[in-house]
Amino acid sequence: MLITVSHFWQPFSEFVFMRRALLGGLVLACSTAPLGVFLILRRMSLIGDAVAHGILPGAALGFWFAGLSLPALTLGGLGAGLSMAGLAAWITRRTGLREDASLAAVYPISLASGVLILGMAGKRLDLLHLLFGSALAVDGPTLTGMLWVSALSLVAMAAIYKALLLDTLDPLFLRTVSRLGPLAHAVFLTLVVLNLVIGFQAIGALMVVGLMMLPAAASRFWSRRLPVLIAVAAVVGCLSVWLGLLLSFYYSLPSGPAIVLVAGVGYLLSVVFGPVHGLLHRPPLLTFQ
Amino acid sequence: MIRCQSLVWGAPGQPLTTPLSLEFESASLTAVIGANGCGKSSLLKVIAGLQKPLAGKVEMAVPRQSGISFLPQQQHLDRQFPISLEELIAAGFWGRRLSTQLRTQRLKNALEDWHLSGLEQRPLMALSGGELQRALLARLSLADAPVLLLDEPHAALDELGQQLLWQHIHHWQAEGRTLVVVCHDLVAVRQHIPHTLLIRNGHCVYGTSRELIQPTPSMRVA
Repeated sequence: MLITVSHFWQPFSEFVFMRRALLGGLVLACSTAPLGVFLILRRMSLIGDAVAHGILPGAALGFWFAGLSLPALTLGGLGAGLSMAGLAAWITRRTGLREDASLAAVYPISLASGVLILGMAGKRLDLLHLLFGSALAVDGPTLTGMLWVSALSLVAMAAIYKALLLDTLDPLFLRTVSRLGPLAHAVFLTLVVLNLVIGFQAIGALMVVGLMMLPAAASRFWSRRLPVLIAVAAVVGCLSVWLGLLLSFYYSLPSGPAIVLVAGVGYLLSVVFGPVHGLLHRPPLLTFQ
Repeated sequence: MIRCQSLVWGAPGQPLTTPLSLEFESASLTAVIGANGCGKSSLLKVIAGLQKPLAGKVEMAVPRQSGISFLPQQQHLDRQFPISLEELIAAGFWGRRLSTQLRTQRLKNALEDWHLSGLEQRPLMALSGGELQRALLARLSLADAPVLLLDEPHAALDELGQQLLWQHIHHWQAEGRTLVVVCHDLVAVRQHIPHTLLIRNGHCVYGTSRELIQPTPSMRVA
């Protein structure tokens, strides 16, 4: 197939569902970029996974009781995602179990109960759809939801940016000068859950974490400045959405995995070619003494 | 300025010392010395309000949020964090309402004071331990708090850096600030800090540094 420039635009100009998927994906990529970058900086990369898995039983319950309705799926996912992340954090705080261990314990529980509930609810809702999404099913209300969540996330992140940055770098210092640390942390976690929940319907519960974390991990190889990291993550995320949707359109691939795989390629390219500690840049700047 | 009343601190059920009742006077300079794990850093955290005491209380003549600056040990900082030295230091302005002009001027002064000029744009990763420590001290100085709690401020500093540190400590005291300094360098404590709180075998002893610390240069509280 001869590739021309029009191939990159045509599906979007021709089909409404492609335009919706693209717009939703792009705004989601922009709002998850700062969240992913901060998750990595806060050494909380696993939280996203725990929440995403936690969404499953909630969405499954929502489906069981209310059928395929956007508010039910969203509320169910939101409640369950938050409570799974909260449960893991609570266990860590109360028992001192390491955070990664308590998160890793939470996701098989979530996944298994989600699958079981779906099984009991009958086979009307495709499990694969829930896990890996279908960007081609972004309808009007879902798109509106995505736009709202993205706008809210960006505004809220801008508002808590400074406090969150200090709370990440030097929480002791922030606690001596301000009480905003815990608040910033709570707002941040809520935004992570909101973005994952709104994203799971388009890209799938397990794939939306990829869109959040892969561009953020890739950006680390391009700069040492936080604002640049966030911008790079957003660009990588947007490119992944765009190219991933095209791939899924032309080769009839499921769109969630297509988008995440493009982001994965971006990540691997960054690991190899990125100027900051990339494999091809010698001598390695990070030396172990 | 800081009054500890029957203060007991440590992990729940494991108090580190017998109750401490002591007043750190305004514009005083006090060292806290003792072996590793005796509770020096925890005492600073309790005073700073970062850790709850097991019993007793700390009364403070200034509000905690704006009145105290705490210099933690630097190893808890993530050295890969993507910010520059200047951004780290400027965090010292947190919560203070100053004009941009004043901020720029003070930041510049702090950089000069701590011999950090020219390193403004360096990422944390590219700083030496001593440079990072001076940056943390510079951040502390920008906060302009009346109470300064320093946890091993001399750590990672070279000869010149230590001179700089003691100059500033004396200067801060002369300005009327109250300082509590956790320090392992007993020779320096004896030389620079008039009063000492010694924590040993679960007891606290307060006195002048010259009484509590023998003048043998190699002496360490083990």
